[in-house]
Amino acid sequence: MALLEIKNLYASVAGKEILKGITLKLQPGEVHAIMGPNGTGKSTLSNVIAGRDGYEVTKGEVLLDGEDVLAMAADERARAGIFLAFQYPVEIPGVTTSAFLKTALNAKRRQEGKPEIDAMEFLKLVKAKTAQLGMPYDMIKRALNVGFSGGEKKRAEVLQMTMLEPRVAILDETDSGLDIDALRVVSEGVNSLRSPDRAFLVITHYQRLLDYIVPDHVHVLAHGRIVASGGKELALELEAEGYAKYLNAAA
Amino acid sequence: MKPSLITEHSFGEAYAKRLGVAPWRGNLPGPKVEEWRFTPLRSLAKIVFAPADDVDVDAVPRTVPVIPGAARLVLVNGAYRKELSDANLGKGVEFSQGKVAAKEGSSLIALNAAYAPESLALHVTGAAKKIIHIISIGAAGAAPTALHPRITVTAEAGAAVTLVESHVGLPGETYFSNPVASITVGEGATVRRYVSVDEDSEAFHLATSLVKVAGGGTYEAFHLGLGGALTRQEVRIALTGENASVRLNGAYALSGTSHHDFTTVMDHVMPSCASSQVFKGVVDGESHGVYQGRIHVARDAQKTDARQVHKALFLSRGPQIDCKPELEIYADDVQCAHGAATGEIDPNHMFYLEARGIDPETARALLVEGFLADAVNEMSDEVVRDIFGVAIGTWLKRRAVGSHA
Repeated sequence: MALLEIKNLYASVAGKEILKGITLKLQPGEVHAIMGPNGTGKSTLSNVIAGRDGYEVTKGEVLLDGEDVLAMAADERARAGIFLAFQYPVEIPGVTTSAFLKTALNAKRRQEGKPEIDAMEFLKLVKAKTAQLGMPYDMIKRALNVGFSGGEKKRAEVLQMTMLEPRVAILDETDSGLDIDALRVVSEGVNSLRSPDRAFLVITHYQRLLDYIVPDHVHVLAHGRIVASGGKELALELEAEGYAKYLNAAA
Repeated sequence: MKPSLITEHSFGEAYAKRLGVAPWRGNLPGPKVEEWRFTPLRSLAKIVFAPADDVDVDAVPRTVPVIPGAARLVLVNGAYRKELSDANLGKGVEFSQGKVAAKEGSSLIALNAAYAPESLALHVTGAAKKIIHIISIGAAGAAPTALHPRITVTAEAGAAVTLVESHVGLPGETYFSNPVASITVGEGATVRRYVSVDEDSEAFHLATSLVKVAGGGTYEAFHLGLGGALTRQEVRIALTGENASVRLNGAYALSGTSHHDFTTVMDHVMPSCASSQVFKGVVDGESHGVYQGRIHVARDAQKTDARQVHKALFLSRGPQIDCKPELEIYADDVQCAHGAATGEIDPNHMFYLEARGIDPETARALLVEGFLADAVNEMSDEVVRDIFGVAIGTWLKRRAVGSHA
């Protein structure tokens, strides 16, 4: 069984149809990249899978280990193992990164029937993970994402992913706003999480990210449909030739 | 008879006779008194209050936090109760009880002066080692009860003290607490005062704080409002010497039909003083929050730096907020700023937390605590800050804020 299966998915926003029949299978251990120009439904796809309000699924299914994801609330999806790394992580004043991480981690542990993590164990875990991502440990005392640079925000997303150990991670334009150094650090963080029982859906506009996070499969999204699929060489072709031929073909 | 005053109420002859004192002949402020426009007292005036009887209270309610190492002074219905207290105040502070002198002031102060049993007076002569925790317990007997706690704090030049006040009550008949605190901060002295009002849900609480801060003195206060049917915390501060500094902050969290009013008057009399105020509130149900903040800068108070902000968060569409900032500035070389805003929980914030597996109720509680954090984090004493933070967390659980998804 596929780890994540998207079957003929149609979704609209404010009555406008954005996704027009997406079908995709992610096997455990695989990294899939979804590429496409702006406005073709890349972010809609990630938001629909994660369960954001305001997206109406009109047709199709999303299954995680065969379970109906669309029937779950957003928080249930996350606890079931879906993780969305946001393109634009929101700043939440007053809520410390540490309180947030602890609450999220404990929500997951409760789901798994484990006791809440004790304070020392939590600090040890955060220390190890922040060090691994080259982040100052002190950042967990700061309000969540508040005043973080673009790179810090994306690193914080990867830190959360590292701590929550999802089954399926969706990276929504994780490369946007990153310089080369930050891109490398973030990618290394992601790569360190690659494992035979985890899958990734990497959504990106540019091929650049895929130099660091090398995908098993590349899909081209245009006008709400997947119009081409291939191996990692498809990303290089897109980089060289652009999206024009797919856009015209799909229109 | 002036229509702006409530003249028929239950604090007159009969009440005085029970106490054997001269009756208070004043009036309660009515809805046409500008300062009381948003906080009507009609419901209070209708109740026939008796003086506080000696109700048997043999322990401090468990809802009152224990502050490690703090001295405890316990008042039951306004009267000091030695057997419930731990009056070992440590070095730097002395305490005494005394008659309350009748004083000019608002009608509530006069009412307090007329019927207060005795004042609790703290005299701070040096750097106090211990936190002084004053606990006021309202306990009605068979009939509605009124209590008039009176606290006087005098910090001598260079002295320093941290006070915590917990205002709580026992469930039962309604009661009306009318505390008055007079605080004098001497030259170069520091007084930190953290007040928590978490009265019984049927109770009235109309508190007046009168604060004077001398030159180079520092007054830092935080007021928390969590409970009670009708609560008003009025704080009037005069900065009477150069380089005096005041940080006055507060937070409230209301549900049901609770009413809470913060009224502040910041009176800059002398030059080169600074005052800042951060007030934050969350409102749910059909509750009503009020913030009135007046900053007065006298003509001589050049180089004044006075700031004030009030922000409220609506957890549902039922509550009401009234916010009235007033700046009266007569000096020309000053920096004054005020801000006010109301809003709701941002759905993007909710989604972000939910997308990390946090259930909506917990997410909402995190965001509410985060919203109040600006004000709460202004408290410089970390121990008390944590205790107040826990009280807010408990409020959130108690009121099941998550029921308004």
